[in-house]
Amino acid sequence: MAYGLIGLVIIIIVKQYRPEFAIYISIICGILILVFVMDKLTNVINLIKSVIDKTNINSSFLSILLKITGIAFLAEFAVSVCKDAGESAIASKIEIGSKVIIIFLSIPIISNLLEIIIKILP
Amino acid sequence: MDISLLFKIAAIGILVAVLYQVLVRAGREDQAMMTTLAGLIIVLTMVIKEISNLFDTVRTAFGL
Repeated sequence: MAYGLIGLVIIIIVKQYRPEFAIYISIICGILILVFVMDKLTNVINLIKSVIDKTNINSSFLSILLKITGIAFLAEFAVSVCKDAGESAIASKIEIGSKVIIIFLSIPIISNLLEIIIKILP
Repeated sequence: MDISLLFKIAAIGILVAVLYQVLVRAGREDQAMMTTLAGLIIVLTMVIKEISNLFDTVRTAFGL
């Protein structure tokens, strides 16, 4: 929170003189906040992993899920930076790309689900 | 790696802005453009280092 506010104040000052640097400052501010959040997030992930290992669900699903959240996490960062800079076209391309990758990664889960359904059906 | 990075970039930005004005007043527009580009490139390298740092932490955390 503190990073965001300080970054905001600096951006307003610098925007009058050099608009190019304002974009840099907003990117750096976003990165600082994300890195700050990341180490909190790793604790949550480790907790989830330990819980999942106890149950009999195989861990391949969990790794795929983690990959998907990671991709969504980064894609959202890139999209918001692009929108902030005014390039909404590039932002939508990044969004499409991330969606395709997520769908590609979730194929094994879907196929597994379909097999289960086929087994259930008479 | 901390908030000091933000201040460093702000300082470079303001410095380049002041230099630009001074050089433009002195009549050397081309050198003014050079200093602006130089400042931009320096800040770009710093930003890229931070971005790679972010990607590494995310990769290790999510096991990508």
